[in-house]
Amino acid sequence: MNDMSPEDKKPSKLAKWSRRGFIGAGVLAGGGLLIGIGVRPGNPIGSLASKVAPNAGEQLVNSWVKIDMNNVVTAIVPHCEMGQGAHSVLAQMLADELDAAWDQVQVMQAPADGSYVVSDTARLFAAPFTLNAADWLEPTWDGLFTQLGKSMDLLITGGSSSIRTTGQYQMRIAGAAARQMLVGAAADAWGVPAAEITTRDSTLTHEASGNSAPYSEFASAAADQSMDHTPKLKTRDQYRLMGRSKARTDIPAKINGTAEFGIDAEPDGLELSYAAVVRPPVPSTTVTAMDASRAETMPGVLQILNMGNFVTVVADSYWQAQQAVNTVQIEWSASDSPVRTMDDQFAVFAAALDEAGETGGNQAAARGDAQAALADAASNVEAEYRAPYLAHAPMEPLNCTAHVADGKCDIWTSTQVPLMARSEVAGTIGMGTEDITIHHPYLGGAFGRRLGSEYVAMAARVAQATGYPIKMIWSREEDTQKALYRCADMSRIRAGLDESGAMVAYDSVFTQRHDPAEACVPAIYNIANTSVRVAEAELHLPFQAWRSVDHSQQGFFIESFIDEAAHAAGADSLDYRLAMLQNAPRHKAVLEKVAEISGWREAGGEGTAKGVAIVESFGTIVAEVIEVDMSSGKPKMTNCWAVCDAGYVMNPDGFRNQIEGGIVFGLTAAMYGELELKDGAIVQSNFHDYKMLRMNEVPNIEVALINSGDVPVGGAGEPGLPPAAPALANAIFAASGNRLRELPIAKQFT
Amino acid sequence: MRNRAILAACLLTVMVTACGSAEQPEVIEQIVVRERGAAPLAAAVSEGGDDLVALGEDAFQMCTGCHVIETGAPSSAGPNLHGVVGRVVGGLEDFPYSDALTASEAVWDDASLDQYLADPGGYLPGTDMLAGAVRDEETRAAIIAYLAANSVPSE
Repeated sequence: MNDMSPEDKKPSKLAKWSRRGFIGAGVLAGGGLLIGIGVRPGNPIGSLASKVAPNAGEQLVNSWVKIDMNNVVTAIVPHCEMGQGAHSVLAQMLADELDAAWDQVQVMQAPADGSYVVSDTARLFAAPFTLNAADWLEPTWDGLFTQLGKSMDLLITGGSSSIRTTGQYQMRIAGAAARQMLVGAAADAWGVPAAEITTRDSTLTHEASGNSAPYSEFASAAADQSMDHTPKLKTRDQYRLMGRSKARTDIPAKINGTAEFGIDAEPDGLELSYAAVVRPPVPSTTVTAMDASRAETMPGVLQILNMGNFVTVVADSYWQAQQAVNTVQIEWSASDSPVRTMDDQFAVFAAALDEAGETGGNQAAARGDAQAALADAASNVEAEYRAPYLAHAPMEPLNCTAHVADGKCDIWTSTQVPLMARSEVAGTIGMGTEDITIHHPYLGGAFGRRLGSEYVAMAARVAQATGYPIKMIWSREEDTQKALYRCADMSRIRAGLDESGAMVAYDSVFTQRHDPAEACVPAIYNIANTSVRVAEAELHLPFQAWRSVDHSQQGFFIESFIDEAAHAAGADSLDYRLAMLQNAPRHKAVLEKVAEISGWREAGGEGTAKGVAIVESFGTIVAEVIEVDMSSGKPKMTNCWAVCDAGYVMNPDGFRNQIEGGIVFGLTAAMYGELELKDGAIVQSNFHDYKMLRMNEVPNIEVALINSGDVPVGGAGEPGLPPAAPALANAIFAASGNRLRELPIAKQFT
Repeated sequence: MRNRAILAACLLTVMVTACGSAEQPEVIEQIVVRERGAAPLAAAVSEGGDDLVALGEDAFQMCTGCHVIETGAPSSAGPNLHGVVGRVVGGLEDFPYSDALTASEAVWDDASLDQYLADPGGYLPGTDMLAGAVRDEETRAAIIAYLAANSVPSE
């Protein structure tokens, strides 16, 4: 980030954001954010080359493409692989534009270096409104974005962004540019017009002269060609790999067990010791007294450390460390949080909402005059909803291997944000980021948990104290009870309906707003008067984005409420939504399609009923219909139909996997997900009491895709989740008349 | 304009928090039990060696993945074992025992615990205790001594 050449230090043109602007503008945008790399004078290619192309004879064509002497193309992708399959699809996009042979394409993760920041991801995180947003939702984000660019390290895997940002705006352009450069180099060498050269399967061919050569032959010469910053991209009819369900390249290693996850780290030449930790049961408290006399006598124990905000035992093995730390008697400081139970937390929320009343709080979005329209409406509908705290519960336990010695720090960990982790470590152990290397292998699940880096900093502190390398592993209980969480919240929504039942006013007020900023706004619906307000309230547990972030609770609030309004209006809940989507043809088509494939208008089996919900999140519109069987008195999910419009789906199989995963994740949370508090500490501890949906509880899931056309490509990892909970709750209402306004659901039927 | 400022402030808070450059406390206490590669301390071997209950407490650590042993504490995956010696099999209220344990009317004592721990599924077919058999006889004796010590009624 610091090695920019002076010529790059020109003002960015964020107001006129162009999808290819960054490559034309070079390496700078967003006020100090270094984005992407082209082969051009002044960029830091020299210092990066040793990291991405360490072998002699390899030639970097541009930062995202490496072609070695065996004609193998390596895609250097700036995103982590956490099970979502993005590595593979990004390679598909690059290889397609490059006309590379698919079986000779490899995926390599970009090193955690500031030069690989994901600029478009930053923009989507910071300014989601700027893409296809109605004018009344469009704030001016430039100042914010510039500030964020300066303060943040963006090598992020999150926000369902890999394909729609890095893939669309970087991989494809890089692939197309590299192809043009290879063609140019071959044309020069053969003395033929570039336009007559064809490319396919990593081979250049000039039919008239009979010349043919693999890409590798011109890899070096191509680097001397001028780079087209706006290369011609393929049209859909020219795609050979995009839009196809190519097998994921990471699957074989995961099947045969050779894939390395963070917890597998055993760096060459390092003798590891192992650390287990105990953090305070109540957030923000510290160690006031520690009795480790028993642990001192236990086998394998090397050190016992009181780190102030946690206790750790370092031992010869993880098991020994965990057993020993279990015996340490710790006293914690008193918490000044007023929250001891979830009732207390909801009381805090309710007080904030009471204070905001019908007009107070921070106005997050406004159109028309909602208050006047509510007062004038023929009838009003109002409801209050609650969502609980949730844990991320990734399958791979939190872990971090750290070595601090000789003024250098090496970290091996599963993280979604290697550069943020690097900054956090730097700030914590007082070292410059240039002396810290983050090695980041596969993640065994994250769901947002590994957007936080506090665990990385904890391991670095301990490694600094011991002076020798340690692998710190958190027990499942530690990660469930003392981590970072999807926030609980409460929302009060009111609507005004006219004589026909149509919604003419909408007002909501809730306490938690993180991102995406538009998640709380029912923007897809044509409601003349809309007011969305935030009455901020303190959270007892620390926040961390959880799959689909605010959409996870707002989807439930908004789509449950729309259902209530439909019922109040005496309308079919799907038709009621359709009537409000007259200005949203894509959404309307998605809803009509889900009605069709779910048999919405046909009677279901006895005791069954269907519920519907539609949410647009991360650029993808998803409508879901869930069918429940209530004949036993308890909800049994039988079927789920989902229709998704992501504009264009790059890998249909991978996309379906993600949507199905999002649905199951969302239904798990809807049915069981809940963290309760006792004396300010979390009660649930492990998968026995923080339950996951079992295979026999998962409904049949059918996912249909719509490629609606020339719109920005949407995400896959998160959009399947937000409609799941409201569709389920709405189905239960349809079957039983029981309106569920809080989650989770299962415990309300015991 | 007002809205924009609020949004910007809100997002910045999130982002800055995510960066988390908050000051970490210093290391408060660092107990070095031994250097790496050094032989275990003699004390580590002998201390408490003739105390069956202390040995049992150490050995019980293998059980703590599923069991707590603390007055009145909520059970985890397995039942709270405080007071288990002298308790009716499957007798802890509010714990969802398997049918096998619920059906039994026996009372846990040293002998029955010894047989159960040696082979839970063999002694009580249908038990949910699928892991945690203690094959070593002396370890079993130590664990049972520890369980017994934690079964003395407190006033």
